[in-house]
Amino acid sequence: MVNLKRTSHLTAMQCVLVCLVATLVFAPKGYAQDTEFRGFLENATFVRAHGVGLSKSRTTLQLELSRAFNSTGLFSEVSVSGIFRGSYDAVYDLNDDTFGKNSGRAVSFPAPGNPALFGILATGNPATPPFPPSTNPVYAGVFPPPTANGAIPLPGVPGGNIGTNNPNVGMGLLGEDVHNFEHGGLVLAYPTRPCNIDSRGCINGYMDDSLNELRYAEFNDKLDFIRELYLDATIAYDNGRELGFRIGRQQVVWGRTDLFRVLDVINPVDFSRHNIFDELEDIRIPMGILNVEYRMGAVGGFEDLNFQGIWKFENFRPNNLGQGGEPYAILGAGNFFRAMNNCWENGCTAWNFPATGFAVEFPKNAIGIRQANKPGADDYGFRLEGVLKGVGFSLNVLRYTSQMPVLRGGINADNPFTPQTESQFYPYNIAFDIDFPRLTMVGGSADFYSDTLLSAFRVEVSYTSGEEFPNTLRERLFSESDVVRWVIGIDRPTFIPFLNKRRAFLLSLQVFGQHLLDHELQNVNAQGVPTLSPVGMVDWKNNYIMTFLFQGNYMNDRLTPQILTAYDFGANSGVVSPSVDWKINNSWRLTAAINLKFGDGARVFDDDRAANIFPPYTCAPPLAAAGSPLCGVSYSSLGMAGNEPLGRFRAGPFGMAINEDEYQLTLRYRF
Amino acid sequence: MKKGILKIAIIGLVGLSQTVAAEPFTDEDINNSFYPYNDWTPTADGYTPGEVIDQSNVDQFQEIFDEALFKFVKDGWVTIRTAPTTDFPLSKDYVEATRKYTADVSLAENGTLNNFVAGRAFPQEPRADDPNAGQKLVWNYQYGFNSGDSETISPFWWTFRNVKTGKVERQLKFEWHFMNYSHRVTFDPRPAFEDNPGGIYRGIYGIVKEPFDLANTQILIHRYEDGTKRDNAWLYVGFQRRVRRLAAGQITDSFLGSDLMVEDFEGYNGKVTDYTWEYAGTRNILMPFINHSEMELSNFPENDPDGYKFIDVEGQGNCFPKVTYQLRKSYTLIGRPKNPNHPIGKRVINLDAQTMVMSSLVTYDRKGDMWKWFPITKANADDHLPINKGKGVPVEDFAVVIDIQANHCTTLQFKSQITDEANQPKLFSVQNLRKAGR
Repeated sequence: MVNLKRTSHLTAMQCVLVCLVATLVFAPKGYAQDTEFRGFLENATFVRAHGVGLSKSRTTLQLELSRAFNSTGLFSEVSVSGIFRGSYDAVYDLNDDTFGKNSGRAVSFPAPGNPALFGILATGNPATPPFPPSTNPVYAGVFPPPTANGAIPLPGVPGGNIGTNNPNVGMGLLGEDVHNFEHGGLVLAYPTRPCNIDSRGCINGYMDDSLNELRYAEFNDKLDFIRELYLDATIAYDNGRELGFRIGRQQVVWGRTDLFRVLDVINPVDFSRHNIFDELEDIRIPMGILNVEYRMGAVGGFEDLNFQGIWKFENFRPNNLGQGGEPYAILGAGNFFRAMNNCWENGCTAWNFPATGFAVEFPKNAIGIRQANKPGADDYGFRLEGVLKGVGFSLNVLRYTSQMPVLRGGINADNPFTPQTESQFYPYNIAFDIDFPRLTMVGGSADFYSDTLLSAFRVEVSYTSGEEFPNTLRERLFSESDVVRWVIGIDRPTFIPFLNKRRAFLLSLQVFGQHLLDHELQNVNAQGVPTLSPVGMVDWKNNYIMTFLFQGNYMNDRLTPQILTAYDFGANSGVVSPSVDWKINNSWRLTAAINLKFGDGARVFDDDRAANIFPPYTCAPPLAAAGSPLCGVSYSSLGMAGNEPLGRFRAGPFGMAINEDEYQLTLRYRF
Repeated sequence: MKKGILKIAIIGLVGLSQTVAAEPFTDEDINNSFYPYNDWTPTADGYTPGEVIDQSNVDQFQEIFDEALFKFVKDGWVTIRTAPTTDFPLSKDYVEATRKYTADVSLAENGTLNNFVAGRAFPQEPRADDPNAGQKLVWNYQYGFNSGDSETISPFWWTFRNVKTGKVERQLKFEWHFMNYSHRVTFDPRPAFEDNPGGIYRGIYGIVKEPFDLANTQILIHRYEDGTKRDNAWLYVGFQRRVRRLAAGQITDSFLGSDLMVEDFEGYNGKVTDYTWEYAGTRNILMPFINHSEMELSNFPENDPDGYKFIDVEGQGNCFPKVTYQLRKSYTLIGRPKNPNHPIGKRVINLDAQTMVMSSLVTYDRKGDMWKWFPITKANADDHLPINKGKGVPVEDFAVVIDIQANHCTTLQFKSQITDEANQPKLFSVQNLRKAGR
């Protein structure tokens, strides 16, 4: 999907960065004024409970430089600013059997039903298999004898096994860190090792980091060690108005709320650093953007009024969700994608398919994820922002590419039940490409203060069209839905004398809502057959998440204890994170935190096993026994459900991290 | 003057029964108010300028100390060096504005001002028998010339210290800007900016330069012409990179961990109508009013690129300014919060009679125990930075807030500049917070 236009943009971006670095460092004294320089060295060491051990030991060096220049021509307030960051995460070396080059293991699948399944396939009689296959086959094992340690291959598996390029080493079972498979849903295995060690399941250009790219996250072909680098300039008009420019790699922050990104969607986010728990400043992925602001000041009845236009010209980058095998893979999506890509590329063993207690081998190009298609269009947006009668407000419009991936089914695939290479569309088949749809977001925000309640309020709302969601009712397993998101936040500094007579505590409550306006969820499938569980869109039609921050300050704000909690009502899961931040002096800072998750954890949803994808082979036995004509045609899922793969979207980021309780220590030296 | 009396009479005739009309003022009132030292020098029994007052002799001078400073000297925390009283004339523009506009000013029943334009609202000598004397004084103080029309303090060093050990616990470097949108007398436009739809009286803007964890944190406060309206305040949080609306009503909270409440800024930073105000007498007390160049100065906390040196510290915990004090005429103003849950029992504000700036503030908690001492060292503008010469503003040079109960202090070292160069409305806009942030 990379086209010439994008290539020229990349070159332009590199030129911009090189020129700005040169300006920042080598500008002649006659033109440059003072240079500001500061930075920090930090080590963040996190230990995960439940036997995982070290999950992060990241040492970061960050340098921040800013250099002002004399006014020139029309332009004043000219400056170049840069933030450079490099880090090394020793977890890939110190705990390499969990997250590094020695991670993973050989996996097997309890399959007590396999002898009967083999009997049916070979002789038509479940009681008479030609030889007893393993009831605990290993991944990509050998079948048929002599060892018979593999799962039963579907007829499309060439040579009877898939092990040649897909050995049973360095594997993990999808979701095993979250649930224990008691629901009997579909389970796949995923390679866990960095992509230069094991390339299986690594999607080209997306989630394909090598060991060094994981260890040294900023040193890659995107030049991420140049975290931010931009040029500022202003044209000042006689009437006091200004036209401000900022061009280069930067963060553009819209919105007024913490944690939630209702309007703050211009920069993608790197969730692989620490799920959603790091400050957004540290995990937004800065992008090459032209940011123009026309600052009008007081005008008409407005106390302040400004107009902003942005154009993101750097190549599209999606959110970093963490690839399979990383310590932080939000929603476990990276593991799922890797398992699925391996299935597509190499074939794979599927557990609890076609039903609980069986394990079969799928051939390559039958199910899975084929590739990620990166889009080529630029993002652009506008914001009107100001203050009216003491109320801060903004109106925002953004045309952009979703930074979250969607799975679009409907790619051409082979029928695993036949030896031929069909390469055709099979409705309801779990064969996908990853795509990033174009979206249009309109929204607004406001903040105001209530003296009666001694509280500051903030509100954001957005309406996004073009978003796509998994939908097992649709032939391509996704559908569009417009989405309304909103968040209301309340900050109230409150004195609690028995805890601290001299310093107020910050009580900050936020409620976030998401509403899918074109939601589909029902108890009959697309053909009208009653289903075993609800089928359709796994995402909640209406869901709410609440956060609450309780923060105090002691020792003249040098000791800051706080408790941050968040709760996902739909997932019925949450997190509580008490922490203490000790500013030892102006240079040293120590933060100790515990991050505990609670609630239901993994959730189940229709996993599409009960769809008749490859008729008549995948017709539900009751329908087949009844001689239903549906067996001859494709039909959508009848609602067999499990944790994988879609349950993760119901469990949400807290539920899917239910076992990622952590003890965290961060020491920072500032200079 | 006659014109002023006529206007007051007309106001009375049209039936503004809810107002307390200003008393007529005379040229003598103006002279007494703005130039008290023309032909008079304050004295006290046994006191001679140049006197060094310490633990051994402070008792005989108790009447010329505010209560907190007396206690500190008595406890041996600091020795006071004194100097002759000097004139701190305010800008002639401010005095002329008083002559021009004050005749129209009256006190509304809710304690706010009617028809105030600029200058000193009530130049008459306060009278003990005037039940509104405290309310009038507080307005003279609030609309005083503490920072002129426009002031920049940069750098502005806040140092957190342990009083017992003198250990420096934390140091913040700020840049602060103050600008009056209205009641302006020296900088154009006068008396007010025309484009001010929000009815802002004063803008206050501060940005933290150091330390790194707070760098780029900015605060913006809008105070309104309507004296009953709560301030609006915004905070740009550097590590969040966004503007956060502040709960501006919670002004009894510490500011960034310092010993100052937000309500303490400039002595009193709340709504005038949140307190009752009492005039508690006139007396001569020692105030840290100085000529900057005559003090022992310091390069601490940093070498200033312009060669400016800061007022040094001394005494217990290095919490006291290393300056001389002079005997000056003072009005004692006592403020008591109307809110019974307010942590402060009363504020005793010692106003310098000539300049109407606060020389010291002593706060007491609800139990009546002394809580904090907040003196502000003022320098003569003509003996300060070149940019301040002739500005007629008593220049803020040093301040400290000592939390007596917590044995902690925050010293404030100023490089104050009376200028409008950067202080234009655009600096005091919410958008500027975003612009100045990363």
